[in-house]
Amino acid sequence: MTDVIDTPLTATPVDGPVAVRVRRFLELSRQVLRNKTTLAGLIVIIAMISMAFLAPLLTTPNVPDPYQMPRDWAALNQPPGTPGHILGTTSDGGDVLYGVIWGSRVSLRLSVIVVSVTVTVGVIVGSLAGFLGGKIDEILMRIVDVFLSIPELIFALAIAAVLGPSFGNIILALSMVFWVKYARIIRGQIIHVKQNEYVDAARVTGDSRFRIFAKDVLPNSITPVMVQATLDMGSIVLVGATLSFIGLAEAGLAEWGVLVSKGQVGISTGRWWASTFPGLMIFLWALAFNLVGDGLRDVLDPKTESR
Amino acid sequence: MQIRDYLIRRLMILPILLIGVSLIVFTLSRVGGSPVGIYLSHEMTPDEVAEIEERFGLDQPLPMQYLAWAGGVLRGDLGWSGVSVAPVTQVFPDKLAATMELSVAAAIVAVTLGIGLGTFAGARRDRLPDHLTRIFSVSGASMPVFWFGILLLIVFWVYLGWFPTGRSDATVYASIAHPTGLYTVDSLMAGNLAAFWDAIWHLVLPAITLGFGTTAIITRMMRSSLVEELGEDYVEAARAKGLPERLVMKRHARRNALIPTITVIGLSFGFLLQGTVVVEIIFQWPGLGRWLADAVLRGDQATIMAYVLFTSVLFLTVNLVVDIVYAYLDRRVVLGA
Repeated sequence: MTDVIDTPLTATPVDGPVAVRVRRFLELSRQVLRNKTTLAGLIVIIAMISMAFLAPLLTTPNVPDPYQMPRDWAALNQPPGTPGHILGTTSDGGDVLYGVIWGSRVSLRLSVIVVSVTVTVGVIVGSLAGFLGGKIDEILMRIVDVFLSIPELIFALAIAAVLGPSFGNIILALSMVFWVKYARIIRGQIIHVKQNEYVDAARVTGDSRFRIFAKDVLPNSITPVMVQATLDMGSIVLVGATLSFIGLAEAGLAEWGVLVSKGQVGISTGRWWASTFPGLMIFLWALAFNLVGDGLRDVLDPKTESR
Repeated sequence: MQIRDYLIRRLMILPILLIGVSLIVFTLSRVGGSPVGIYLSHEMTPDEVAEIEERFGLDQPLPMQYLAWAGGVLRGDLGWSGVSVAPVTQVFPDKLAATMELSVAAAIVAVTLGIGLGTFAGARRDRLPDHLTRIFSVSGASMPVFWFGILLLIVFWVYLGWFPTGRSDATVYASIAHPTGLYTVDSLMAGNLAAFWDAIWHLVLPAITLGFGTTAIITRMMRSSLVEELGEDYVEAARAKGLPERLVMKRHARRNALIPTITVIGLSFGFLLQGTVVVEIIFQWPGLGRWLADAVLRGDQATIMAYVLFTSVLFLTVNLVVDIVYAYLDRRVVLGA
């Protein structure tokens, strides 16, 4: 397979005064937002994140743990439109709207933690391999290959199963699986960028290897990582929700996958709402980040239009 | 690099990858503590526990335990499945057949729909069908498989009552023999058309659910590679010599656009495989995926280990085959690992 992502994205070094960078950033933002679907995705993301931050104001937090679904034992299996439960309730009186809102907080935490950890680890490993090359590169890349040999979801599922059912363990499992892609991407980028003349120029002027790496190589290699990270903000929530749907999160957690799983039991008797609304949230979340990620890629790297 | 050299290089790396995967699988199985737990009961004395540990080699150092386990795997001994209460190898074939049947059905859905839709959209670039197809394929990549399946069940099982869940009707199942475990094949071998329709009937919803995401991927690839081919010189040449547009599309552009699409079809195999886990839960399909989910929830190490090993070997093999096929199909590709 040809690795399309290996192509360098910026031929000129990102350098210069702050004003240039700000101007460049604004110009890029303008280009990205010109695309209507990207803009739509961004609006959904902003709405979801606002919902996550405003959760304690939008609903009365459950005590003692706001991440556990509150139970209204007087209103089991109520359909949407019930006073006090606009989106209906689950089979044990959990308010579906509460789950939808607090679920966004859980998903935001999940995706931010996993993306930060995996990008950091991936960039470190990939940089070591790409910049140092030789034996280290060979060894690190074989490890990466081994990790890539197990399908992502299956790998995460096996890790989470060993660690035991909890949402924290889902976060840990996903962090252990998702870093590999970044290592590969950044390594490919660095190998290309390293061959540029300005890197040679820096070497001739006597810059230290670390300085060359930090100042010239890394900043010019990072763009596809940013695109991938945006896409992963969505797909990590998708995989995380799949794991909790299977049953690897705590029961009663206000998380979308858990709610879909819980609601599934009632569909045979016509109670469609408890699964439908939380599932719709997962879909919208993933869709929004996919749209923005695609938009970013189109602008930053028109050559790799699709994967 | 020559194809032969590339192939040799890939084949040489394969054992390293397999050993790596087996090490990961073994490590995972020991992170949660010694597997001796599954043989224990509360009444046992420490001496009895020690005896069991000795019998299964669990008193040995970990590297020895790994070698013993890996040796067993190579001899076809995958251990005892707690969820099935039987040796893993004994339960495996039936579950595999169920999953295979579902996956093949899903692949048929995905390939036909994906290539069809992709061609349709690519030939009408930037017009309405293209935009609609784009929305469809982005949705497919963002769709939680389990939620999509549940939506289909709500509409087509609960409200319309058109399709059933499960894998077959109990009386129909009992009416024929199952030598292959693939119900569609079994029913045809028995010459029982009613049983064949029953098998297809049960396959429709899970196959659509499982194939949806892959359809989206294939559609997208087919569309973009067709658009690319249509911009090539040879297409202009074909048009210039007066070939009708339909034939330009069919004989030239589409044929070449299929090359990268075939690769994507092969590579989306892993995607399909992962999807079976949730699809089988939702539709109560008695295959490998649901078996894994049960094992995961009950901490059945042997089953999990067998499943992860099997899927990884399959995944690696398929990816290797896809790469080789791609290399032969398109000599312009510069190979590099």
